[in-house]
Amino acid sequence: MNVAPSAEVPGSASIAKPSPSDSVLIAEDDPIFRRVLRGCLQKWNYKVVALENGLDAWTALQQENVPQMAILDWMMPGLDGVELCRRIRSQAPGPYKYVLLLTAKGGKEDIVAGLDAGADDYLTKPFDLNELRARVRSGKRILELQAALVKAHADLQFEAAHDHLTGVWNRGAITDLLQREILRSVRSGEPVGVIMADLDHFKRINDSYGHPVGDAVLREVAQRLLGSVRNYDYVGRYGGEEFLIVLTACAPSSLSMTAERMRIHVCEKPVDTAAGAISVTISIGSAAQRAGNPDQRGGDGLVRAADSALYAAKAKGRNRAECAPEDMAASPAHAAVAP
Amino acid sequence: MKPLRFDAAANQPPFGSGAESASAPISSGTNLWGKAEALRRLGGDEDLLRELCRIFLEESPKLQAKLREAIAHADPQAVMRAAHSLKGELGYLGADGPLQAARELEDMGHGNDLSRAQETFTFLEKELAGLHLVMQDFAGERA
Repeated sequence: MNVAPSAEVPGSASIAKPSPSDSVLIAEDDPIFRRVLRGCLQKWNYKVVALENGLDAWTALQQENVPQMAILDWMMPGLDGVELCRRIRSQAPGPYKYVLLLTAKGGKEDIVAGLDAGADDYLTKPFDLNELRARVRSGKRILELQAALVKAHADLQFEAAHDHLTGVWNRGAITDLLQREILRSVRSGEPVGVIMADLDHFKRINDSYGHPVGDAVLREVAQRLLGSVRNYDYVGRYGGEEFLIVLTACAPSSLSMTAERMRIHVCEKPVDTAAGAISVTISIGSAAQRAGNPDQRGGDGLVRAADSALYAAKAKGRNRAECAPEDMAASPAHAAVAP
Repeated sequence: MKPLRFDAAANQPPFGSGAESASAPISSGTNLWGKAEALRRLGGDEDLLRELCRIFLEESPKLQAKLREAIAHADPQAVMRAAHSLKGELGYLGADGPLQAARELEDMGHGNDLSRAQETFTFLEKELAGLHLVMQDFAGERA
């Protein structure tokens, strides 16, 4: 399973929003049946899109947020219900469509043909309303189950890519995102910036106030980091008290400005915890990958460069931001290791 | 399980079974419209039935015209399609008399044999005329 996170607001759940399972698309050329279906379904609190033929229905089904349940008449001019059903099933995967085929035919072969074409259920005309209601309800039940599965899957994907404590990307995900952004920057020509931020003296906080307070500090710092970047940048927890931030389309000059903004945003007011207000600071190392540079460093090189700059910031007294020199770009190994 | 019915529509084949009546009704009168059956199907909603009747009164002449034209052009496919639509509506509204004729016309179209189509269509038109009158009364559309 590919759990590479999609571009989104950092820290937010990547849950695909399914179209509501309580809306129904009707394709029925007969005005009487269309009226009965539309009227009754509306009375039962379904949202209804009623169309007169299969081609219109097919066009409607290509749009976003289309109803997930379709009631299709078997016999329609242009595109009949069975063919429409086949097309729906051969479509690229998306939210599951529940198809109820409406037929005047009652023969077993016809029913089998309809189900073979991908229909989930069928209803024989003239249907009575209780039967219609029950069949639509059972379709809705399937769609709700499907929605729950999709949500569970999205939740799992979210969990697999996010740090449980802070809610930001976890190490694996932020590393993947960095690689992806570097590849993208080669094509787009826009530089990528990397910031490594480390809480100063975090061990002291844990030792003095206990781990729950340390956790609260980490959570708050993660939020402050998120608040210092743009919606399309990425914040991830790289290690214990270390965060990796990937800045897309970020010129080297704005990289150091962002780093400084982050530093100030974290230390400007103390963190409120159960043990009272605690002042925290971070040290920052940053590195830029210049776009269009044939000797570009890859993700590892960038992280190493930012890490070295971080060591330099620590060595120079902490609560400061240092930027890796650009010539470190060409050096694959540790070009500058701080004491 | 289908509930027992004691109304005029009781002679109708059980819906959904695909069963056919043994023979075509030769005119009907009392059997023209099983309104009670239609109402039952609609959960007793008279207003909805009235509206459906109005739609039918507006739509069925168009289907009749299509049928007439298809028979005149000896086009079995078109006969089958128009008769099929009409059959569906008549069946839903519980109009047994014309239903059987529409069903026969559909079969004729399906079987590519329109030799008796004109005769059946004439009968259908007569039945429909009667049905229209009864429905106009019910739907409050009679002048």
